[in-house]
Parts: sequence; C-alpha cells; structure tokens
Amino acid sequence: MKFDTIIIGGGLSGLISGIRLSKQGQRCVIISSGQSALHFSSGSFDLLNTLPDGNSVNNPIEAIEELAKQAPTHPYTKLGSNKFSQLAKEAENFLKEVGISVKGDARKNHFRMTPMGTLKPTWLTLEDHMQGENADRISWKKISIFNVTGFLDFYTQFIVDELAKIGTTCTTYLINFPALEHLRKNPTEMRSVNIARVFDNQENLDEFARQIKAENGDCEIIALPAIVGLSRKDAVTYLQKEIGKPICLLPTLPPSVPGIQVQQQLRARFQEAGGVFMLGDIVIRAEKEDNRISRIYTNNHGDIPFSGKNVILATGSYFSQGLIADTERVYEPIFDLDVTFSSNREQWYDRNAFAAQPYQTFGVRTDKDFRGLYKGEAIENLYISGAILEGFNAIKEGCGAGVSILSALYVADRISSK
Amino acid sequence: MTQHETTKPFDVIIIGGGATGAGTARDCSRRGLRVLLVERFDISTGATGRNHGLLHSGARYAVTDQESAEECIKENMILRKIASHCVEETDGLFLTLPEDDIQFQSKFVDACRQAGIRADVIDPKDALKMEPSANPNIIGAVRVPDGAVDPFRLTASNIMDAKLHGAEVLTYHEVTELIREQDRIVGIKVLDHKTKETKSYYSSVVVNAGGIWGHNIAKLAGVNINMLPAKGALLIFGHRVNNIVLNRCRKPADADILVPGDTICLIGTTSSKVPYEEVDNMYVTPEEVDLLLREGEKLSPQLAQTRILRAYAGVRPLVASDDDPSGRNVSRGIVLLDHATRDGLEGFVTITGGKLMTYRLMSEWTTDLVCKKLNVTVPCTTASEKLPGSRENTEEISKKIISVPLAQRNATINRHGDMADKFSENTPLDNSLICECEEVSVGEAKYALNELDVNNLVDLRRRTRVGMGTCQGELCACRAAGLMSNMKKACTKRAKADLTSFLNERWKGMAPIAWGDTLRESEYTAWIYEGVCGLTSSSKE
Repeated sequence: MKFDTIIIGGGLSGLISGIRLSKQGQRCVIISSGQSALHFSSGSFDLLNTLPDGNSVNNPIEAIEELAKQAPTHPYTKLGSNKFSQLAKEAENFLKEVGISVKGDARKNHFRMTPMGTLKPTWLTLEDHMQGENADRISWKKISIFNVTGFLDFYTQFIVDELAKIGTTCTTYLINFPALEHLRKNPTEMRSVNIARVFDNQENLDEFARQIKAENGDCEIIALPAIVGLSRKDAVTYLQKEIGKPICLLPTLPPSVPGIQVQQQLRARFQEAGGVFMLGDIVIRAEKEDNRISRIYTNNHGDIPFSGKNVILATGSYFSQGLIADTERVYEPIFDLDVTFSSNREQWYDRNAFAAQPYQTFGVRTDKDFRGLYKGEAIENLYISGAILEGFNAIKEGCGAGVSILSALYVADRISSK
Repeated sequence: MTQHETTKPFDVIIIGGGATGAGTARDCSRRGLRVLLVERFDISTGATGRNHGLLHSGARYAVTDQESAEECIKENMILRKIASHCVEETDGLFLTLPEDDIQFQSKFVDACRQAGIRADVIDPKDALKMEPSANPNIIGAVRVPDGAVDPFRLTASNIMDAKLHGAEVLTYHEVTELIREQDRIVGIKVLDHKTKETKSYYSSVVVNAGGIWGHNIAKLAGVNINMLPAKGALLIFGHRVNNIVLNRCRKPADADILVPGDTICLIGTTSSKVPYEEVDNMYVTPEEVDLLLREGEKLSPQLAQTRILRAYAGVRPLVASDDDPSGRNVSRGIVLLDHATRDGLEGFVTITGGKLMTYRLMSEWTTDLVCKKLNVTVPCTTASEKLPGSRENTEEISKKIISVPLAQRNATINRHGDMADKFSENTPLDNSLICECEEVSVGEAKYALNELDVNNLVDLRRRTRVGMGTCQGELCACRAAGLMSNMKKACTKRAKADLTSFLNERWKGMAPIAWGDTLRESEYTAWIYEGVCGLTSSSKE
C-alpha cells in the first residue's frame, strides 16, 4: 500500500497533520489503535499555563523566550518564538475551518470550569462550555445546575461551593429521567457516553428540554454536565432554543463526550479530504533503507507493507503506549528511537504525587525539524509530533494540547515544503 | 487549643487500634468492663494492615519456634470459627525447589506434627494439579492448613463487637501524655486530630497496644521497652495467581510466601532493621522490589507476567529480651508486660510482640491481667463467640439481599458477612457502583460512612476496598469524595483535601513499581485529577 504520508496514531496530533496534508492533496493514511487522550478531554485545549519554574503564564506568546531558557528541549523551544506564535494563530483558524467552534486567544489565557468547580487557565474552549475572562469571578450571579439521577461522575456540590466563594449562587436540580432507567439497572452503565447516546435520540432530548424548562428558576444561565451532543453537534443550541435561556456545559469525569465528539469530527474531516483511517490496527515493525523508513508492517495487514514518502509518529506517551517503560528503561517500541530518560529508576518519580514527575518529561529526541533521532542521527523521513516528544510536562505546564496541535501543524508544513 | 475534661472514669483505656487493641477492647467489654479505645489514625493502619494476610497454620514456625507454632494452629482453628467472614480456607503448600535441601522436608513435617499441625507430604505432580500456578520444577510438597485472613475486616468486626458491648472508640485521637499520680498511671491526655482539642480520660488501667509505636507510649510513662523495628516489604499483584498459599520449604527467608486474597495475591516479605525514627515513613526501595520479584517468581513463575498493583511495607514490633540490653536476643513470641511488677508502675500494661495470628490470644492474656487487677472474674468468651459478620449463614443473607446485583451481592457478603443484610432495603440508586474493579456500591459506601467509623477516603478504602483494584482509585476516589460531601460527611473543601491525601497515599505504593501498565495508570490518574479536575497539593487543608 503506497501513500504520500503514513501517520501512526489517530489522536489529536495525528488527525490534525492528516487533515492538513490531505487538504493539500497528499494521499494519507492514519493507523490508529483506538482510544486517544481526547477521550478524557476537559472540553478545552491548553497552550501554556505555567513555566517549569512554577510561574503562571498569562500570555503564552510572550512567555516562549523565558520558556526557552528554562526548558531547552521543549518542543516550543525548538519552534522558537516566531514560529510558535504563527502556528498558534494558524491552529485557531484551523479548528474553525474544520468546524470545531472554540473561543480563546494565544495572547491571553482565559479560564474554564473544572469538575471540582475551580477555574483553570486555558487557551481554547469549546464554545458550548462554561468559560470566563477572570480567575476570580464569572459573568453570572445566578446559575441553575442540572444533573440526572444516578450519574456519579459529576458532583454538583463541588461546583456550588466553589462558585459561592466568588459570589455566584447556584441552584441544583436532579432530574429522574425515565429513559435512563435501563442504564441505572446495570450499575456500570451510568457513564457519560451511555447517557449521551440516550440524549442523541430526538424524543429524549425534547423530554429533557421540557423538564429543564419546567423548573429552572430565575437563573441567568443553565449549566449541564457534558452528557449531550455525542453524535449531534447542535444539541446545546437546540436545547437553548427550546428552553429559551443560555446553556453551557461543564466537564465530567471520563469518558469525555465533547472530546469524543471532537475526535469523530476530525476523523470525518480527514476522510472527507480523502484520507484513509485504519481503526484498530497496530504497527508492529518497520524497515529502513538508506536512513529512511521504507516499509511499515501492521497487525491487521500481516505481510502487506505500508510504504510512504514520509512517516509521522504521533503515538502519544505512556497511556497510549507510544512510550513504554519497563524496570530498566523507557523506549519507543516501533522504531526504537532515542529516548531521554534517567537510568536510575528512583529518579523517574517524585514521592509527592502532586509534584512534577520526571517521567513526564521523558520522550523521543528529535532534531530541529522534529525528525526522530536513531543513535543520534535524524531519520530522513520520520517526523515526530504530540505527547511522545521529549522535554515538556504536559500536566504541570498545561501545554499538552498545544504541543500536540502545534507540532502536528509544523511537521505537516515540513513535509509539504519538501 | 481548648482543654476538655471528662470526669467519668473508664475501667480500662486501650491505646492502639490494630488487631490487638481491637481484640482487647472486645474481650474487656465482653467481660463487662467500661472500655475506651483510642487510636491516633484509623484502625489497622500499622502492622495489622501491612502484612500478608496469611492465616498461618504455624507450619512456618514449626522448626524454629515450637511455641509460636502451637499458638498459631490453635488460633487458626479458632479464627475459622469465630471470624469465618474474614477467613478463606485455602490451605497451604510448602514447596521444595531444586535449589532447596529436600532433607529439610522430613524435619519440617516432624516439627509440624509435634506442634499439632496436620502436614501431609504429597507427590509434586499432585501438588501441581492442586495448584497449577506453582513452579513446575518442585521436587517436594507438603500440604498444611494455611489460609487467608483479611486483617481490616477482622479488626473492624472486633471493634464492632466491642461497641455492641458498650466500648467507646475514638479514632484520630493521639495520646500525648500518660497521667501519672505517684506510682500509678490514672489516665491519658489525647489530641483530637479533627478538632485539634486536647482531652483527658481517666481509667483504672491503661493498656499500651501500640505495636511498634508502643515504644514511645511506654516512654511517656517513663518506662523503657527495647523495641527493634523490623521492616517487611510486600508486593500486591493485580490478580489472583494462586488459590492455595505457597511457601518455600526451608528455614524462613525473604519473599518465601505467596498468599491469595480476594481478587489479588501478595508476595512477601523482606526483613531489615530500620532506625526507630523512620517507622512512620516506610518506603519500599527498588532493591526490595527486585528481590521480591526474583524470589516470588521461583514460587510461581506466572508472577513474572502479572501486573504489580502496589508495594508497601510494615514494621514488626520485635522486642529485645529484658535480660539482654544489647538487643540481639529478640523474642518473636507474645510479650505481655505488667509494669507494676517490672517497673513498679501500677495501672499500666504493655502488650506487644506476637503476630496477627495470635492477636486474640494476646488480647485474652491482656484482658486476664486487667481483670486480675480489677478483681473481675468473668471468663473469656472470645474463642467461642462468633464475631459480627460471621454469625449467620451467608446463603440466607444472600437471599435477603436478592435485589442487589449478583456480582455486587457476592462482593458485599464477602466483605461484610452477615452485616450485608443491611443492604436489603437498597434502592436501585444505592446499587450504583462507585468502584467497578471491586464492585463497591453507593449503598455499601453509605453503610461504611454511617456505621464503621469512616473519617476519610483512606478509611473508606480499608472498610470497602474502594480504590484497591487494578485502577487503584482512578475514578472511584472522586466518586466517593463526591458521595461523602453529598452525605454531608465532609464539606467539599475537606472532601477535596481528602482526595488529595488519598491520591498521595496511593502513589506512595505505586511509585516503587511504576513501570509498564502501572505507569500508564499513573499518568492517566494525573491527567484526570491534575489536568481535567485541576486538583493541586494546595487543595490540602
């Protein structure tokens, strides 16, 4: 099977470079094992919230020069300040073009609501999610929060108490929804995605709207856990129209309905642009010729190799198994690329669970162009993007989505400008 | 800080909420004494909750310590009767590997029989049929009546019985002072960790059942007990590899026991002396992990492919013999010290040494001594009267709670024995699961919160196994925290602080073994709680 570009990994990063290259007329394939980090999304994309030294970032674009001093191998440091701000701008436009409505600006972080009711800085937030400009207040004084009976992955009390601290009064309502009865009977089934499937049904959504309309008091806005809009993007708009009040979503514990929705949408755009998406397949090994990846073999396709002019590796970090740790080392399982890690296992961790964990910054080494290094030398046609990269702590720095998106756009540009 | 005086005196105050303290509270209260038990954290937080959970047959001690072996087999038979809901009758095998001396086997069998322990030599082929996970290269096998015991459940039901007989139990109360009048201890001062208040309680006798921490409690009385902290590290595996306890048939050594328990199994232990100052901060080192794995795989090669859930270490309260100030001559048996005769200090008794298996006997001896001091002659009933949870037929209970889904019903009965009949009124909402790995429902968590002295998430884990399964508390911790705040058991601020402590506690056990899937889960947990939920260590109070 011959392609222009083979992309390994169907998460945020792989999909974005896939769409970008397909739209430019390249013939692309994405080989995806299935779940990605989008399945536990918060409904927002972070660019850069905190520097490695712990100082918080207000304007990510201005912070890149300082970041470069503190984190010399950070993907953003490799891009450099100018490229970073150019790509951040492009990313904002890109998402709009593919139909993902977000709000936010790389020159100023805004704030999103966490499931614990706190406000956390971020870059872009899905339009139907609660967000605000400030860390210490939101635009509404009276909110009605609805939950459905038996859904344990969303606790309104956390949100009520936190918002009370910043002067917003919440009233909570619990809806005993008859169509969810069969889910409740099986105790493991009351999860966000299963509930969202029920609300994908028009009649159920109408009934939900009717119940919310019947009792929401004199609130300015209605807040719901993100349990609607799995397959229909317009669920919130529809509810707003039916109820006649603004509605916003709040994130739940995983799985993330909005995250899965985003992934489905990106995948659809990729396929519309002519891309081939191979779901549930895993790359087993690769062959090299003259310092180029020549063939790739997968689980489902046995002896039939994939070959392409270029390859993008976007397989994620440990959770997605782009990186694998055993008792002695951290390695990249497909190409055995150079990975930065400490040889003393005790140095992988901090004893405090909430401290920066060194293992988080381990990852694949690349050259300036994000080409993967093998024994110190860059492989000619192998580009690396997303969470598998070395040099950053996605959680502590709040930069996971940003690294995935920006590195994807960057490697796509490198490939198309060849 | 406020001073709070309680005038009503107790007959006996017991310091320490491990198995021995709980057992002593049960025994004393059943004999009609007015009892107060104080514990600085939660019940079973010390060595009680940090061991194999092995229902020793005594076979392990038969060759080296006949006395301990005899005590073990007697208590083993008693616990099967009085604590059936905490015990799993698995049996045990003592395996001889090619590298071990097969001559030891006959010596071992003789010693077992002499101590009254049934020991059947069986053909290695038959042993492998009984326990297919055992090392196929074994050259000898002996079957003994070992089993598995859940120390959390055992301690909790001792506490429950003590309370049913009028005992008062204060967890999160740390003893700061022993109140002394001339040559007599007459009470204690405690710091209530929740309210930060200091309180005084008075009694005729104070029992020091503080395990390794008994060393410091004795110091408060101006009495010296020469304790030698011995650290023992263990690994918990993510599924139940073996159904029969596997031991090495040789002199006791490192990592030679593999015990099944609920859905998991445990290998241990190492043994190393640690300075007394470190007993509150036991970390498992990479060397200990490697040693446990290396030796464990010899008992059951399957362990090499089995995921490790968690590593932890306990501290055995070994006591140096009184006549040997060098501390080299260590007693592994039960040590009951009457400080009146030993140190001329009335009203103060220390119970230490021993082992989980002999907690009941230790409690009986202690209670006998307390009763003698108080001129009480009521006999001990703890060897014959069943513990709460073990009193009714579980099949009957299962019928009573038939509305609870099957897997959950079995898990609940397994954990709470006949107390599971509390769930007969469960609504469908109570049947919602908080923890999928361990089948913990909303109803079960509510029961634990209302009736089992649960103060925080880690306590809840000890009562219900929330967060003990393969995911190690990924989502269930947050659900449980939410439930606690919904039930007004904790304000949301405390619930969050609690969640932070819970996650830190989990990480302490995971960091020593965080590679492979465990590292994947750790990364995922960090994503959820720090990334999505925005939880930070400053969420702590």
